[in-house]
Amino acid sequence: MKGKVSERLNRLLLMVPFLASREGVSVTELCKEFGITEEVLMQDLETLRLCGVPDYTPDALMDYIVEGGRVRMLMADYFNRPLNLTGEEALSLFVAGSALIRSGVFQKEGALDSALSKIEMLLSEEKKVELEDVASRIDVEMRAYEGTLREIIDEGLEKGRNLQLDYYTFSRDEMTHREVEPLSLICSQGFWYLLAWCRSCEDYRLFRLDRISSVKLTDHPVEDRIRESFDVPRAVGEYSPGRKAHNVKLRFAGRRGRRIVEEWPAAQLTENPDGSVLVELRTRNLAWLATYLLRFGDGVKIEGPKELKKMVEQKASELLEAYK
Amino acid sequence: MNPPHDDPPTASVDKIERLINLTACLLETRKPLTFDQLKQTVYRGQSRSEKALKRMFERDKEELRDMDIEVDTVKNEYEEEPGYMIPRRKYYLPHLDFEPDERVALTMVSRLFLGSGTPFSMPAHLAVLKLAFAKQDVDEEVLHVHWVESPRDGKLLGDILDALLRRKTVTFSYRALASDEPVTREVEPYGLFNKMGAWYFIGLCRLREDVRCFKLDRIIEDVHVNEKNPRTADFEVPTGFDIHTAIDWERPRSCSPQTKAKVVFTPRLAFAASTGGAPAGLQKRRADGSLEVTYQVADPEEFVDWVLGFGTDARIASPAALKEMARVRLQGVLNGLGAR
Repeated sequence: MKGKVSERLNRLLLMVPFLASREGVSVTELCKEFGITEEVLMQDLETLRLCGVPDYTPDALMDYIVEGGRVRMLMADYFNRPLNLTGEEALSLFVAGSALIRSGVFQKEGALDSALSKIEMLLSEEKKVELEDVASRIDVEMRAYEGTLREIIDEGLEKGRNLQLDYYTFSRDEMTHREVEPLSLICSQGFWYLLAWCRSCEDYRLFRLDRISSVKLTDHPVEDRIRESFDVPRAVGEYSPGRKAHNVKLRFAGRRGRRIVEEWPAAQLTENPDGSVLVELRTRNLAWLATYLLRFGDGVKIEGPKELKKMVEQKASELLEAYK
Repeated sequence: MNPPHDDPPTASVDKIERLINLTACLLETRKPLTFDQLKQTVYRGQSRSEKALKRMFERDKEELRDMDIEVDTVKNEYEEEPGYMIPRRKYYLPHLDFEPDERVALTMVSRLFLGSGTPFSMPAHLAVLKLAFAKQDVDEEVLHVHWVESPRDGKLLGDILDALLRRKTVTFSYRALASDEPVTREVEPYGLFNKMGAWYFIGLCRLREDVRCFKLDRIIEDVHVNEKNPRTADFEVPTGFDIHTAIDWERPRSCSPQTKAKVVFTPRLAFAASTGGAPAGLQKRRADGSLEVTYQVADPEEFVDWVLGFGTDARIASPAALKEMARVRLQGVLNGLGAR
């Protein structure tokens, strides 16, 4: 089993050449690149200081200095170049790479394919066979990323220019028009989203690509301050419902309720002796939920809030009228 | 040369230091080192018997091999004891020339899973850190593409991936969606996949004696990976196993032959008519601006779910059977609102 030791060893053996080839790297950058906290970094550096080659006299040990928040490595010629890729590292690139090729973000036999085959050449014949075998058994499915919208969105992202969107806001059930500063493409639950800074709401927003009805490239450049301060996990994570959110209680016949909770990890589930499940969740907007609940038929009972009941009743009756 | 320390640092080194020292020592040496020589250096100060020390050395070599660092054993006809070294050409990452567009592509790939909590995120990033090492920085103009699906339990996914790589059996308690009680399963994991953001693995279930899919979210707590003979595979994956074909078996089979369905969208949401549900065919714009679209429907239940997802902006116009399904659902919702 690949354990903590090999993970740490791999990191340390990379950190030495990483530091040795640079004039000094800031503590913050090191932590970010290696995905560790400052405390772990300091432990790592202390460990390295105890390592070296025989006879382990002070001048044969590695050492580092921290000057003005920048770390510099001294000694360690034998670690002046990075170690070869591990099988796990090569596999991870192949899994991510084939997902992006299959969804159409990259073309087959394009730059990514050729880069991956160069990496494959690093591996021994035996490892190559192993990698191909394992990579063919792992699949990450993403929807096709294609169409005319895609070209304009890519251009906005690549050139760093604002986009004007006509967007269907599902949560409020409204068509909206806005100018956004495009930052990144996000894949979530198989769907593609554009992560952008919305100029009208002054915040990060995710725009699901299949809910964009039209997009136009503008001449306005994406503001530097937005590009520089942007950080994907934070921007995506800021989707907390907040204090204004409604507490929603729904009762489902067993199986479907459990499936709902699988789809919304934030939802709370209570199982009842009669086999039904109570699902509790918080959401800022009820409009989307009212539409979403229509499909459950008599499999769902809305316990609250009242506004949701009213909305569902209105939508269901209106639609039922249309079916008459 | 400095005099040796009274208390050499190797006296109390922990495992990681010992492994780094061993790597450095075997990498730096010009000629193979015997175990006796290593005893005087890397393993100096270890208060263990000769036999225990040798076992420790063997384990350390295994540990390095797990990280794909090969320690070569060199037999010499003049010496009785074999010598050991790490060949530099195998240890160091060879220089690779990447074109600028390949570099951009690899950077995008390495960022895809970054911060996602999947077992692929850090390895992919470190790989590019190693590769981009010679030319320090990649062009800033890299399109950001991110996968933000955090598995609910990263450790669970990591354990299953580990079992899959080493071909070890896993045992776990599983509650299928259709059953109320969890059942213990023993499975040979063949493949791993993510569909619509959820992780699944597929393998031979020894209980059902059949290849089945398991959704990670339905596993109760942990999986237990068989640790007997950790370096020997428990099973072989059948030749010709292909994850894409395997997933296709799992797609809902159409119980009835495909039916044609017509759906009318309001002008407002007409743009979304071809975004899922079923393959869209003929489209007809009506005088009032609404759009009539014909679909080939394989799974009626799923299709009605999808159309109802548009709320009052989409309505099934035909066939009567699907309209009736929609009506029953809507009436059911309304009935439910009456009763507490």
